[in-house]
Amino acid sequence: MRALRSFLGLGVLLASVPLSSGLQAQQSSRTEPVAGLRDNSSGFHALTGARVVTAPGQVLENATIVVRNGLITAVGANVSAPAGARVWDLKGQTVYPGFIDAHADLGMDAVPQGGDVGPTHWNPQVRAWFSTTSNLKDDSTRRVALRSLGFGTVLAVPKQGIFRGKASVLNLSDVGVRERVLRPDLLQSVGFQRSFALGGMYPNSAMGTVALMKQTFMDAEWYIRAQAAYEASGRSILPPETSEALAALAVNVQGRQPILFQTDSEEEYLRAHKLATEYKLTPWFRGSGQEYRLVDVLKGRTHPLIVPINFPDAPDVSSPEAALNASLGQLRHWYLAPTNPAALANAGVPFAITSDGLSTLTQFLPNLRLAVSRGLTADKALAALTTVPATWLGIERTHGTIAVGKVANLVVTDGNLFTEESSVRDVWVQGTRYGVTRPPQIDPRGTWRIASQEQGGINGTLVLEGPLNRIRGSIEPDNRRAIPLTAARVVAETGRLEITFPGEQLGLEGAVLIAGSVQGDEVFGWTSLPNGSDPSFRGTRTEAFEGAARGTIAMKVPQIDLPWVRPMMEYGRASLPEQPAVVLVRNATVWSQGPQGRMENADLLVRAGKVVQVGTGLNAPSGAVVIDGTGKHVTPGLIDPHTHAGVSAVNESGFAIVPEVQMGDVLTHNNIWMYRQLAGGLTTQMVKHGSANPIGGENVFVKNRWGSLPDDFKIEGAPRTVKFALGENPKRSPTRYPNTRMGVQEIIRDHFLAARDYEKAWKAWETNKTGIPPRKDLRMEAILDILNQKLLISSHGYRADEFLALVRLAEEFGFKVQTLQHGVEAYKIATELKNSGIAAVVWSDWGAFKLESYDATSYNARLLMEAGVVTSLHSDDAEISTRMNWEAGKLLRSGVEEVMALSTVTNQAAKAVAIDSKIGSLEAGKDADFVIWNGNPLSQFTKAEQTWVDGRRYFSLDEDAKLREEITRQRAQIIQAILAAGGPETPAAGAPARGRGQENK
Amino acid sequence: MIMTPNQPLTMNPSESMTSRQTTRLARTSSVRVVALALAASVGTLLAPDAIEAQVRMTVAPQELPVVLRGATIHTVTNGVIENGMIVMDRGKITAIGTNVEIPRGAKVVDVSGKHIYPGLIDAYSTVGITEIGSVDVSNDINEIGDFNPNVRAEVAVNAESRHIGTTRSAGVLVAFSTPGGGVISGLSSAMSLEGWTWEEMSMKGAAAMNVNWPDPIARPRRFGPGGPGGRGGPQAPPKTYAEQVQELKDFFAEARAYRDAAAAGQTQSTDSRYAAMIPALNGDIPVVVAAEGAAQINDAITWGKEEKLRLVIRGGRDAIHVADRLKAENIPVILTSTMAAPNRDHEGYDGAYGSAALLHKAGVKIAISGGTGGLYSYRLPWEAGVAVAFGLPEEEALKAVTINAAQFMGIDDKVGSLEVGKEATLLITTGTPLDMTSNIEQSYIQGREIDMNDIQKHFFKKYMEKIKQQAKKIAS
Repeated sequence: MRALRSFLGLGVLLASVPLSSGLQAQQSSRTEPVAGLRDNSSGFHALTGARVVTAPGQVLENATIVVRNGLITAVGANVSAPAGARVWDLKGQTVYPGFIDAHADLGMDAVPQGGDVGPTHWNPQVRAWFSTTSNLKDDSTRRVALRSLGFGTVLAVPKQGIFRGKASVLNLSDVGVRERVLRPDLLQSVGFQRSFALGGMYPNSAMGTVALMKQTFMDAEWYIRAQAAYEASGRSILPPETSEALAALAVNVQGRQPILFQTDSEEEYLRAHKLATEYKLTPWFRGSGQEYRLVDVLKGRTHPLIVPINFPDAPDVSSPEAALNASLGQLRHWYLAPTNPAALANAGVPFAITSDGLSTLTQFLPNLRLAVSRGLTADKALAALTTVPATWLGIERTHGTIAVGKVANLVVTDGNLFTEESSVRDVWVQGTRYGVTRPPQIDPRGTWRIASQEQGGINGTLVLEGPLNRIRGSIEPDNRRAIPLTAARVVAETGRLEITFPGEQLGLEGAVLIAGSVQGDEVFGWTSLPNGSDPSFRGTRTEAFEGAARGTIAMKVPQIDLPWVRPMMEYGRASLPEQPAVVLVRNATVWSQGPQGRMENADLLVRAGKVVQVGTGLNAPSGAVVIDGTGKHVTPGLIDPHTHAGVSAVNESGFAIVPEVQMGDVLTHNNIWMYRQLAGGLTTQMVKHGSANPIGGENVFVKNRWGSLPDDFKIEGAPRTVKFALGENPKRSPTRYPNTRMGVQEIIRDHFLAARDYEKAWKAWETNKTGIPPRKDLRMEAILDILNQKLLISSHGYRADEFLALVRLAEEFGFKVQTLQHGVEAYKIATELKNSGIAAVVWSDWGAFKLESYDATSYNARLLMEAGVVTSLHSDDAEISTRMNWEAGKLLRSGVEEVMALSTVTNQAAKAVAIDSKIGSLEAGKDADFVIWNGNPLSQFTKAEQTWVDGRRYFSLDEDAKLREEITRQRAQIIQAILAAGGPETPAAGAPARGRGQENK
Repeated sequence: MIMTPNQPLTMNPSESMTSRQTTRLARTSSVRVVALALAASVGTLLAPDAIEAQVRMTVAPQELPVVLRGATIHTVTNGVIENGMIVMDRGKITAIGTNVEIPRGAKVVDVSGKHIYPGLIDAYSTVGITEIGSVDVSNDINEIGDFNPNVRAEVAVNAESRHIGTTRSAGVLVAFSTPGGGVISGLSSAMSLEGWTWEEMSMKGAAAMNVNWPDPIARPRRFGPGGPGGRGGPQAPPKTYAEQVQELKDFFAEARAYRDAAAAGQTQSTDSRYAAMIPALNGDIPVVVAAEGAAQINDAITWGKEEKLRLVIRGGRDAIHVADRLKAENIPVILTSTMAAPNRDHEGYDGAYGSAALLHKAGVKIAISGGTGGLYSYRLPWEAGVAVAFGLPEEEALKAVTINAAQFMGIDDKVGSLEVGKEATLLITTGTPLDMTSNIEQSYIQGREIDMNDIQKHFFKKYMEKIKQQAKKIAS
């Protein structure tokens, strides 16, 4: 409501009736016959006396703009109003070029009842065929609301689905739909969130969405070839299936038409950019408002980037408890979000500003000013609303500046729109003026002498000041101290002033109400006293109000030193830890987990991120970082081959079989668990798809390179693995096949067979090259990779029977399962696993949390080892992954020897998931991932002191202590800033407090 | 020598296992010896097959005096006795020291080089009243409704629960089975983890009253299915924090009025709920209030003082922010999750690990409980051990799972330390029971040398047999 008031307060919102008509310009190209009498108002205007900002950084004082038939015919300080033009005296006002919103939601793509019809696409979320031009319909409420903010032109972006259809450039005038389109179907809109209104089960996850995008780009490319093959055959064969969506995407996959990705987080930007690169698209991006976290990445990129200004409200810090729950991540975002546009500008990244993403459009102008008060120059702000989007939308020759020959799109304001609490008065679109607000009829501010002849009447001085829409002041009865007013309002239409103040100082119990009618410097009114009497008064203005006509927006937050860190949260790093050329850890107990075994008083030598040697009495070259390991234990970095931490989603359950989805597509670096894992000595994890599917998605190996971006966590050359799931979880969806363990087995088998058939079809086509070319099917490709052991199975399951069934099924198809995971009953088939060469990844002692885990035993790992099975532990849990050394320690109680126990989280873990050529032991040539412990790592009494990844120290107790101090400082300072700014309902950082001095919120 | 299946498994981790090694390893494991040891300890003439099949045998009450000789005895309350002796008779400790008289006819067991600790006590558990987490019908924890002071955990304790054996194997010999849910959840029962029936196991049926303090930060809560109208009935409007606290106060006031009326002979008919409140109102048993946040803990203390209760705080996630008051008001805290991740991003990774040490340093009396429910009561030692890694003196960690737990919960006259007159409930170990680098070799509960078998060892033995059979099949 705050923003709405800021322009309502100055006057009255007018009905959107065009006050003059400029239709002539269009009539020549208009096909509709005129019903009734023609409207031929002159369409000839002169806007005089205004301050004209013709383009960013270019200002004409006291200038005139001449508009004729919708176009600007003259502009300049020396231009006089031509005879015959309707003159608009804009003295004291400012004129800007009409704004352009390059990502406007005009809500014209509502899903029809019963869904879309026709041969569109099998997936209802793929609406690439949708045309905003073909479906143009008028939502006048939204159109007028946008126009009232200064927008004359928008890119109307469809918002339903993942592939959402084609966006068009429209003007926001009141003319009919046929005259509103400037550039039809300019680009394709794509978003990462599906629309529930469209229905369909798949995709229901972030990685499913990315997989669908990839498949669709590939299908669109195939569709071109398939149609061509059909035509080339002389139509001697049957045509391929019809898909309007794929047909529509042809221009996009050929790079001839942009794809505009709506990104709602920094991760989504990275994902979209990667997709665009991989599929050679011409990308545009709607940003998330988090770009300030990615400035290093964005620097030098010139793709159109359209950012929202949806700055968050402050976290609740109104009590110590509430404050305790506010994370530094949230607090920083509150403080920094309004600096997002400035950060982009400072980095030289081109960007436009959109109203999209705001919960209410009335926040637009206040937030725009906020961005300016937090460092964005007014010129850059104006450019982001005019010249920049005009160029991207290809309308720069007609739009974006105030110049002769350009379309008369203008914003008239009563002050500097970017730095003052000013109002939009009129918006001109193609030569037609649309009134937005009227100036107030009175300005009662100043010093008044008021006097009353009646009993109990007030004699004294009334002072009214402050911005016109938030008048404040005081009343000073003669011989008494001034009393601040509790409320002051102006009813602009009638010139009435209403004020309230407490009566205590006048010896009255209660509030005193005053109403007066202001005319010039005279006021007549009456007073309502708490005792019921109502003396009248007269007053005269003795002093005019001095000061700015309206409040200037100044930055209302203190300067807080918040170093840029990644991730932008607790424990984030300003840069990656350096990699010393040589590191030597001396005189420690080194658990090599290799042929050297565990060595006392040993040294570990590391060079350029790789292990060189473990031995005794090793020499360090000069300049080496030498660490005294006396009394310490050194082990390889711990490995957890089963976590679900640090991803945007875990399960794609839209289909029972989804190996095409990839967890590597949805990693996030904003993941506090990674830091905690480092603190517990974990350096590598396999982040896995969930267990909702017999065949789930592709997993991803992650090294805990805390402070990097998601793609930098990935381990180059790591094996590819895919999640399978057996037992209770994949059969739990009552409406989806399968519902039994038997069905799980059969649906896997059927897909294996399908992949073989798919392979056959491809081979046949490659031999004959006749007919419609087969399409690349990512799902089938993935299953083929499984059958060919390029994609290794790591299967979730509990019971012996289901595991054995999968093992045998794989053998039937001539390959082997890589690992069984969880494997609560793996011990029951230990010998079978050994004989089939399958590794087991199990818990130390978790069980009995569900029926299929009831036969758990903490001797599971030991039994597996007794049978000779490669055995690893895992957590399946972000928290437990932070203490895998203790999980391994639990095995001691089942009689496993110490080095063997540690192997389940180091070398045997690496071997189980086939990454042992790189990590898992301290052997020459392996990655220098190691942990320094203050004692036996398997002891409950031991903790990690340093954790190194790739020969870089990512965690140490010393650095941790420093980071904690820094977190405490930053949190305290931001919390103080919030409290100073207004307590519980504190708005965006730097914005005026909400509801202060107002009678209602 | 007491046998356990903990024979070490040693091999070079870098080698892949060969079938030859498998055979060797299989041969060295100890299935047979364990079975024999069990037969000896049970002291009956069961057929060998029956012994192999059993999971955990219950043994008869102590008949002969037993003397354990030569161990380092950690009394907890009276220091450490090197090369000490401890005499157990009719379930009680009758003598303890370096040179005590051996009763006539006593069985003397040489435990030289071993350590003796009191049995560990889990002050907050659901052992026996839950079996399988996601199988609702196997759980008897949460009664319907918000006020259930009369429900008593002991009557629902399944003496045959698999978790009892597993818990004992970790050295936890006494557990407070505790109902959950609602505002007043009911009565914890102190259960000794040996006995044919819950009746034999129960040390104190109505041991402590449990209250869940409302959450001021949560959105106003509705009654669950247990609310007025019952399951599927009309939903009451959501309640604010203040309303929930007021309701709790009203319930206590009404219970007190009932008690006074009953004492004056003025009650018309019996009220099970209010009647069950009387020991708590009179301060005869502790009132354990689950409270995590600082405001919760503070408000619970204010309330507990007003009501003049024997207050114990359970949970205590943010207790460090209330440490001064907890110390000043002498209110003990049972920490429920020391082996846990921090709750907030800005807290240290060791926020939970280190909380016990910080509270101890601040002078707050603490016990540590077994963490997330009855399924994992056997993790109690690790919960205490992690506190040692992060600064709690080891002897304090031991107290937190023995005498402190016993004191707070009002059974320190029976257990919690090795003292003459207390129950002979103890562990014979190779080192501290709080660290996995040591083993618990034998336990005694009320003087009974208990069967150390459990379901997990049962599966171990059974499937070692399978591995052996299949190794033979390959060989022949």
